[in-house]
Amino acid sequence: MIPIVFFGTTITFVILRMGPIDPAAAVIGASGDTEAYQSVRRSLGLDQPLWLQYVDYLRDLFTLQFGYSWVVNRGRPVWELIGVYAPRTIWLGFWSVMLPLFVGLPLGFYAGLNPNTLSDYVASFGGIVWRAMPNFWLAVIFVAVLTQSEQLFGFQWESWLVETNIVTPPDLSELWVPRNFLGAFKAILPAALVLGSASMGNEMRIGRTAVLETKNENYVETARAKGVPGRKIVYKHVFRNALIPLVPIITGEAFLLLGGSVLVETVFSINGLGYLFYAATINADLPLVGSLMFFFILLSVGINIVQDLLYTLIDPRVGYGGEGA
Amino acid sequence: MSVVDDEDATLRERLTDEPGPALRVFAVVAALVAVEFGALANLVMSLPWDAVGTALPGFVQGVAATLAGVGDALAGLPTLLSRSVIDNAGYQLPSGEWEGTFMGLSPAIAWAIRVVLIYAYGFVWLLVGWWSYLVYRDNYRHANWAPVDDMVGRFRNHSWGLFGLAIIFAFVVLAVFAPALGPTTVDANIADPYLHSIEFYNEETGSVEEMYVGDANGDSQSRGQGGENVGPLSYDQYDRFHPFGTLPSGKDLFTFMAAGARVSLFIGVASLALAGGAAVVFALATAYYKGLVDLGIVITSDSIQAMPQLLVIMLASFVLSGTWLANLYNGGVVLALLFGLTGWPGLWRAVRGPALQVSEREWIDAAKSFGQRPSVTMRKHMLPYVVGYLLIYASLTLGGVIIGVAGLSFLGLGINAPTPEWGRAVSAGQPYVATPSWHISLLPGILIVIVVTGFNALGDGIRDAIDPQSDVDTGQQDQSAAAGGGA
Repeated sequence: MIPIVFFGTTITFVILRMGPIDPAAAVIGASGDTEAYQSVRRSLGLDQPLWLQYVDYLRDLFTLQFGYSWVVNRGRPVWELIGVYAPRTIWLGFWSVMLPLFVGLPLGFYAGLNPNTLSDYVASFGGIVWRAMPNFWLAVIFVAVLTQSEQLFGFQWESWLVETNIVTPPDLSELWVPRNFLGAFKAILPAALVLGSASMGNEMRIGRTAVLETKNENYVETARAKGVPGRKIVYKHVFRNALIPLVPIITGEAFLLLGGSVLVETVFSINGLGYLFYAATINADLPLVGSLMFFFILLSVGINIVQDLLYTLIDPRVGYGGEGA
Repeated sequence: MSVVDDEDATLRERLTDEPGPALRVFAVVAALVAVEFGALANLVMSLPWDAVGTALPGFVQGVAATLAGVGDALAGLPTLLSRSVIDNAGYQLPSGEWEGTFMGLSPAIAWAIRVVLIYAYGFVWLLVGWWSYLVYRDNYRHANWAPVDDMVGRFRNHSWGLFGLAIIFAFVVLAVFAPALGPTTVDANIADPYLHSIEFYNEETGSVEEMYVGDANGDSQSRGQGGENVGPLSYDQYDRFHPFGTLPSGKDLFTFMAAGARVSLFIGVASLALAGGAAVVFALATAYYKGLVDLGIVITSDSIQAMPQLLVIMLASFVLSGTWLANLYNGGVVLALLFGLTGWPGLWRAVRGPALQVSEREWIDAAKSFGQRPSVTMRKHMLPYVVGYLLIYASLTLGGVIIGVAGLSFLGLGINAPTPEWGRAVSAGQPYVATPSWHISLLPGILIVIVVTGFNALGDGIRDAIDPQSDVDTGQQDQSAAAGGGA
């Protein structure tokens, strides 16, 4: 784990500092004031030799001193920015992992339990197409359809149940109040559906084949011969074993969402981490970019650990310490 | 069956021994090339020869100049499927007659004829490819039977895989013949509309007039409700036919899409060649040497995968913008490099398993024990087994790359601005999705969905053909299917 964080950070450093971009020039902008330029260079530590910069960079990141944003939100600590932007991304990511789980998996299991029926074909084909859809395109269409829902379907999405906007960040204050929770959920729902679309297709496919495979296993036949009721077989013997191949998919997707959220957040104007990273990139806010990338690397390593833990929970045969996926 | 039964006959000997079938294949291929020779020469001449020429010593430059003259002359040769032979640009007289189009047909029909002919031509190439494989297999191959034959046989009966192949075929033809397929050209309609002009019949003055394409584009915009709109399969007021309608700027969407397909295909194939090459080399090396090499590559690939792919590409393509690298092929080369450099760990993980499996076989041990060089062992005894698996994941990943490129250009990154890219069309049409100009965003998106589904289907087909007993869905493969960073 440590070498991975180390290497990843090094790659980021190489991209940021050894590329043709001059961070100091980006900070002072187009004014071209030499005096200011020199002082910015000095305060960023750019006048030092590269290896010293590298050591400083690593030391700061590994002691979690993320420094300050220089361009996007000048002078604000990166931690504070993460504190503001991250909850929205987490809320979005949470639901885009949960929705596919609660929609895609049951559909896949249903298709697997009724193979080669019309509903199986519809579900399978839908999953294939759903999986191939580009998120940003789906997001564009969702936004357009929902903003025009009045004319298109005769019901207004924005005022349905609770008043929400379609293209603003969700209000995450006081989530324990049911009304606020519902509002926040409704506001994130389209974006989460879009972001989770690929996962939904994947999970459906995998759920289907997993059920198809386990359904014919000996222990299932034994259980059936013993007279275990059908519903119980499905829950106890089929479902649980079918979950095992799904663990790496779900955790892997949780990570993919981080990258994909840039586009979805941009279209839905949810100012989350992905959007922050995008803004930092196009404004050449290199200190912020470096810190965010380090944060993402930590997250991904964390997700990997969670994945190994999940394995031990679902499959008692796997002990922690064994090689994960 | 081959006449020669000599075990050690080389392919050349077997060919000279029985040249008949090979000559027949060659004749057909030559005929196919001949009808499109002008286009091919054109393509060769359009490469940046000037840059190469100046680097050459003086006397070679003279030769090169003569060659260039010959090449230019060849490029001017008429080709069967070009727009000059079957022209769809013209104008309609009040009598309903069409002037300037192919045989006086309406532009729509002339364009359709050209499209059908081009696809037929592509299809003939496909058949010829298949035929020459059969000729090789039945006449010249050393072995009577090889495992590949069974795989090909299984794939031929795999309707889902064939469906994928058909879609990929259509996509590749669209990309390769992009200049001839569009109702107009990128140059005339998109890049330099004010350097080109069209003729049209002016009803007010009752005469044929000439105007700049740029001015005509100004009157053929698609701007949704209340504004002007030129939808799919319709004509604008200057009698230009737009199969997919027009962009908000009045430019032709089909031409844009065809050129964009070229860019997408180039980036996809180039990045996969890079990533796949690296993946195979690393997989073979790790499976052969194991130990420290394996560990080193595991850590490297894990570190690359620990960073969100799309974000890294976004960052790196921004950092590199403004360098000479970013101007190669309008930024396509940089994207291909970045997708390749960030994409190999996924592919490597996918082929590492099969490579490790094959490295445990006896024949590897045998090869080692009689002192075969490692590189030869890897190439001859391990590579053939791994390549099939690579194809599966490459096909699944290609769809992801296409989505990723489209996503980046949707954000305005990656491919430099005026160059057509599918994601840019989606972004241009974003305000008009729920208006009469719905086609601008929807058609590119639907095309992406179809193409990506095609690549997934092809991957499924290859997998079932290579390994019919494989557990159909393992986690790995679906993760690589989602490559492109979840764009």
